[in-house]
Amino acid sequence: MRSPQHLVLCVDDETIGLDVRRMLLERAGYRVLTALDGPTGLDLFAREPVDAVVLDYSMPGMHGGQVAQRMRQVKPSVPILMLSAYTSLPPEVTQIVTLAMTKGEGAPALLQKLGSILPPRASHL
Amino acid sequence: MNASSFDRILRKVVIVPVAALLAGAALLLWQISQANRTVALIEGCDTRIALTLRIEQLVVDQEAGLRGYEITHDPRLLQQYYVAQKALPAAFDRRASLVANNQRRDQVNSLRDAYETWQQTFASPLIATIDAGGETNDVNLNYDGKLRMDQIRARVAELNSLTESVRDKAVQQWHRQVRSTIVSLLVAAIAIGLIIGFYVRSLIQQVSTAFRQSHDVLRIRAEQTFRSEERLRTTLRSIADGVITCDRDGRVQSINDTAQELTGWSERDARDQPVELVFPIFDESTRQPLENPVARVTRSNQLVRLQNHTILIRRDGTEIYIEDSGSPIRDKHGELVGVVLVFRDVTVAKKSQEALVANEKLAVAGRLAATIAHEIHNPLDSVSNLLFLMDGVANDRERDQFLALAKQEIARVTQISRAMLSLYRESKAPVEIDLKELLDSILLLMESRFTAVGIAVAQTIPARLCIRGFPAELRQVFTNLITNASEAASPRGHITIAAESIPAGFDQLGIRREAGVLVTIDDDGPGIPPDILSHLFQPFYTTKGERGTGLGLWISRGIVTKHGGTIDLASSTGSDGHGTTATIFLPATPTLGTAVS
Repeated sequence: MRSPQHLVLCVDDETIGLDVRRMLLERAGYRVLTALDGPTGLDLFAREPVDAVVLDYSMPGMHGGQVAQRMRQVKPSVPILMLSAYTSLPPEVTQIVTLAMTKGEGAPALLQKLGSILPPRASHL
Repeated sequence: MNASSFDRILRKVVIVPVAALLAGAALLLWQISQANRTVALIEGCDTRIALTLRIEQLVVDQEAGLRGYEITHDPRLLQQYYVAQKALPAAFDRRASLVANNQRRDQVNSLRDAYETWQQTFASPLIATIDAGGETNDVNLNYDGKLRMDQIRARVAELNSLTESVRDKAVQQWHRQVRSTIVSLLVAAIAIGLIIGFYVRSLIQQVSTAFRQSHDVLRIRAEQTFRSEERLRTTLRSIADGVITCDRDGRVQSINDTAQELTGWSERDARDQPVELVFPIFDESTRQPLENPVARVTRSNQLVRLQNHTILIRRDGTEIYIEDSGSPIRDKHGELVGVVLVFRDVTVAKKSQEALVANEKLAVAGRLAATIAHEIHNPLDSVSNLLFLMDGVANDRERDQFLALAKQEIARVTQISRAMLSLYRESKAPVEIDLKELLDSILLLMESRFTAVGIAVAQTIPARLCIRGFPAELRQVFTNLITNASEAASPRGHITIAAESIPAGFDQLGIRREAGVLVTIDDDGPGIPPDILSHLFQPFYTTKGERGTGLGLWISRGIVTKHGGTIDLASSTGSDGHGTTATIFLPATPTLGTAVS
């Protein structure tokens, strides 16, 4: 029912976590791009026709909130799902992103939330 | 007006009246002497008149004797004549000596001539005639005698009338003098009285003015003193600190409003009470009574401050934390006459401070919990995703891969959990540790890591460097620091580890240091910029990104502090001799404090 053609950009500084997340999303039928830090993610986001972003909050250098803000400036319509290892995020961050969730809630929750923010693709229905 | 001018006025008060009276007396004396001269003049006149009259009397006596003899021819009757004749020359001489001027002398001489003429031309011939038995009834002869006698009388009258006129003048002059004396006396009396009166009045006025001025000055001074005393009293009363003054024996003399409020003693009740009763103080932790500052000040005769953690027990039994000082009150000779205690309620400040410390502890705990959550949520996320993948479509190879990843992530969780646990693990008692052994064992374990990244380790550690402490914790400290050094020096850098035993003394800052061991760990890495260096001992501060917890140095310092030691980092980022030095001092026999707080 979901379009397998959706391109999702994952940004996280945790290598293992990022790899596992990529595998999980690919199994779910998404095409996945990964980046280990904010600047790389922003670069990919600008270049590729990304449909949604799964963004980690806590990263060295540029944190998720700053990355999301830049992305909103480039392509405001692309939904962003913010992941955080912290249970609470600053309100200015939750206001920018489309949806936020805590790491460790489990794969089904991630897939369900990602699905909910993605626009349906008419051409593939 | 001062005392000398007052004395001068007193002298004037005596001298001026005396001088005025003396002047008056001199005037009076002069007047009296003038009058006396006049009196003497009058007396002289009287004497001359009397003498002249006496001469006349003698002449009359002679004539009477002569007439009797002429009539009776009895010589006895001539006796009177001769007596008078004998006395007359002396009388004339005397009278001549008393003349006032030549005219009078001439008159006296002419009287004498008249007498002598009478006596020689009439009396003596008459007596001789009678003695010779001659006739003396001749009218002419007798008449001639009478004429001559009249002449004498006329001369006497003339002389006396002149003298009397002089006497009258003198008497008149005397009267005038008496009048003028009376007038002078009156005038002088009035003048002297007025002079003395006005003069004394002016002096008394001066004295009175001076007195009034002194009185005013005294009154103003008294008012000023009263006001300044009142101001001091008000200031003391309204001062926000408690102030108690005591005499030398430690009895309360005054207690201001704040002190009354803090101690619960009213001024009336507290007065003359021993200060230990009004101001009982105790040590906060031991609950032992503290020596009262009054006693300490009396003993040392200088300002003393209370030690911290002082509790004042109020009259109603409640307790407050106070800060206090006692200072000696000295009189102008520097003698101790009392003690003043100044104290303030620091209960609120103390509670606030405690609350802050507790707050900080909570904040640290909160940050720690957040870190733990973060550190655990990341692997947990991966593990839960891996399990989901394993649960779904996966071949054996993939399953093995997922399983390996999951194990790796679980190991990470375990590592973090252990690291957190080690923070709070405490041995029961310190043991003797040979730092040489400890450092050697750490270096041995890390040897393979050094070889892998090409680190050269040089060490100068003498044998038997013994201190007392908790070995597991110190191992953690040194592992931490050597790991930091090796990471900084990588790749192909150098680490130098040195240790030495140092005697008790003073460090570079002049702070007293007991005997112990100084360990230094040097690396030749790039060095740490000052802005980062200052944060390194803060918890959760890391330069290692996800590889570090940011707790290593913070915990290390906690452990070193617990061992009574110090830990410092110095670093240089210059092109020459860049690198970082960690210096750890551990006392040989520490008084062990509390662990990381």
